[in-house]
Amino acid sequence: MNSSVEKMRASRKELARYDYKPASIERGYSGKTLYINISDQTIKSKDVTDQMKDIFIGGKGFGLWYLWNAVQPETKWNDPENEIVISSGPVGGITQYPGSGKSLVVTLSPLTNSVMDSNVGGFFGPYLKFSGWDALEIQGKAEKDIVILIDGDKGTVTIEEIDFQPGASHLISEQLTEMLAENEKDKMHISVVSSGSGAEHTNVGILNFSFYDLRRKAARMKQAGRGGTGTVFRDKKIAALAVKYSSLTGRSNNPADPAKISKTGVKITREINKFDNEQFRMRQIGTANLMTPMNDYDLLPVHNFKYGSHPDAVKISSDVLRDRFTQNMPDGCWIGCSLSCCKAVDNFELKSGPFKGEKVIVDGPEYENAAGLGSNCGIFDPDYVIEANFYCDTYGLDTISTGTMIAFTMECYENNIINKEITGGLELNFGNAAAAMELIHQMGRGEGFGLIVGQGVRRMKQIFAEEYGADPSFLQDIGMENKGLEYSQYQAKESLAQQGGYAMTNKGPQHDEAWLIFMDMVNNQLPSFEKKAEALHYFPMFRTWFGLQGLCKLPWNDIVPEGNAQTDSPEKIPEHVQNYVDLFNAVTGKNIDKEEMIRQSERVYNFQRIFNLRLGFGTREHDAAPYRALGPVTVEEYESRAERYDKQLEEDVGINPAGLSIEEKIKAMRKYREERYETLLNVVYKRRGWTENGIPRPEFVRELGIDFPEVMEVINKYI
Amino acid sequence: MIEVNGKAIEWEEGMTVENLLLKMNYTFPKIIIRVNGEIVAKELWGSFEIPDRADVHAHHLIAGG
Repeated sequence: MNSSVEKMRASRKELARYDYKPASIERGYSGKTLYINISDQTIKSKDVTDQMKDIFIGGKGFGLWYLWNAVQPETKWNDPENEIVISSGPVGGITQYPGSGKSLVVTLSPLTNSVMDSNVGGFFGPYLKFSGWDALEIQGKAEKDIVILIDGDKGTVTIEEIDFQPGASHLISEQLTEMLAENEKDKMHISVVSSGSGAEHTNVGILNFSFYDLRRKAARMKQAGRGGTGTVFRDKKIAALAVKYSSLTGRSNNPADPAKISKTGVKITREINKFDNEQFRMRQIGTANLMTPMNDYDLLPVHNFKYGSHPDAVKISSDVLRDRFTQNMPDGCWIGCSLSCCKAVDNFELKSGPFKGEKVIVDGPEYENAAGLGSNCGIFDPDYVIEANFYCDTYGLDTISTGTMIAFTMECYENNIINKEITGGLELNFGNAAAAMELIHQMGRGEGFGLIVGQGVRRMKQIFAEEYGADPSFLQDIGMENKGLEYSQYQAKESLAQQGGYAMTNKGPQHDEAWLIFMDMVNNQLPSFEKKAEALHYFPMFRTWFGLQGLCKLPWNDIVPEGNAQTDSPEKIPEHVQNYVDLFNAVTGKNIDKEEMIRQSERVYNFQRIFNLRLGFGTREHDAAPYRALGPVTVEEYESRAERYDKQLEEDVGINPAGLSIEEKIKAMRKYREERYETLLNVVYKRRGWTENGIPRPEFVRELGIDFPEVMEVINKYI
Repeated sequence: MIEVNGKAIEWEEGMTVENLLLKMNYTFPKIIIRVNGEIVAKELWGSFEIPDRADVHAHHLIAGG
């Protein structure tokens, strides 16, 4: 590597430079944002207004506000006007409370053609803020690959050409970190944002945000995974982005009440130390702890979400993955995180692809990777899951979308909708790990059937119908996407609340708005439509809040304090909600309560809904779900759970299944479930303050204080 | 009959909490069990007998995604 890094250093050519004096951080804000236009190499500072702080708070709030002002209704994701906005938030960057290092990325998505937000760990967001910038806006397109470097120590921003080969994100992260660091310890002060070759050839490109792991002596990566942010990045010809900041302290946010922050952090760290091993084992297994319970409760996606469990799922169970992770390593993705859940597999020898034979660190697998790349494709091989995880990360491919895309093609292949001639010889049966791996490599190389798959499920449905004569209604039923974004990895057929939690989202079926499956399906805490509506209001609003602050949601409920079960609403983890209120007030000096916390999110959430409307989306029809997400599409699906479905027909639908053909039963079940979903839309919209068409009501928008003239102009077209 | 999370389930004489969890296939390691409004501590699951017509809540404490 040293010779590559030396070559990089020697090749550096500065195209533009901006010298600045980093603003002091005051109560969680620098008060400045950085705007860069890479078409004309403009670099300038903008002020953060009080209105921005009051209404949009930070994080994706700032991202949405800047993007709204940058684009027109007809702007497309690959127009120069599209921006990538990256921001931490006012609470982001504290080191005393776990999960405080998140960055939020906002852009127009190549998958949905609408506004996308994605959250990511790693050090970039906090270092950006402490370098003097509450957000970074990048607009325009470069003619040739450029690198943007922000040096918070020296107070410089440069746009440069640097000679290195973009394409493999793990190498870019390593090499740029090496190039920018004075010494080994200095590597901890650097975070690199990059993508890979897969982002150049697909619509599902991710952004990798690095953080240097001193013990492993390696740059590791977390992902802004959803919606093609990396595809936009590479379309703009940004090869990489990096920030350097070396003066981090526990008081870098210059908080109003540092003692309160410390006290709250000590309290939760004690909880984690005491209870994590007997609760979710986040420090041992991370999110992969979900593999076993999801399979046990029939929620693990299997064979393109047809089923919820499989006898072979034990081969990629939580404990199998635990045994592959390297333990006793500090595995937090931000400094001071005591939940420390981003596990890694060290010294994994790759068996395929351009790095075959090399031993690498694999960040993960997280639950989504194991379920999406593994069980959803019928592949129950931990080595495959780990290798596919690695290549998706380094090629810059969203593992969630990739898993759902491959699973879709496998079902199409097994239904003879596509064949070996179309796939270029790949036998895409469920379970064929070699074929799936080759497909990932094709997406990385930009060739073969990978070029079609990489366009996403929505586009594949069109192509397969138009070019291969497939039945479009069958494809619509089994193609697990909503708004153009692929579903994340939970089989939610039996949870009406989660069906809404997926398809009624602003950006598409990502579960960061709501994860209600157990509350609904198992605990039966949401038996009525009204209770489901209340949950589909509260949880999306509550969870949106993390994205305004630069926080990770995991410490909210992936550790549970003593006495929680005795509270009125144990599912809300009230003590931790209060922690977050306290942290916000302690950093900013403000005095919000739990109600205002929700109101903060309501402003941004509704603004995002209206942004969707502005771009031609955002109405009720866009909240429709493919039928596979609601119920059994095929005979084999129905028959696999016949006892359950027959019982439901009898008890819930009032139809005696005896004597009915399987097709009649499927049809009756479908009518019931689709009608239920429509009823859910009605009650949720009402609870959220929206019309029956999903439009935020003008009086509610005024109440929220986001009734800007341009916002009301959008709404009034629909009212 | 008993109710478990609002659903009617066949009751058996001598049914303990442990028996019920097996019957329901509730394998998750962190479940809070309430029988007729009272929490049953985990150490008693093997011996606590659920009465007929009991209202049982098996609250799975799972964070999810």
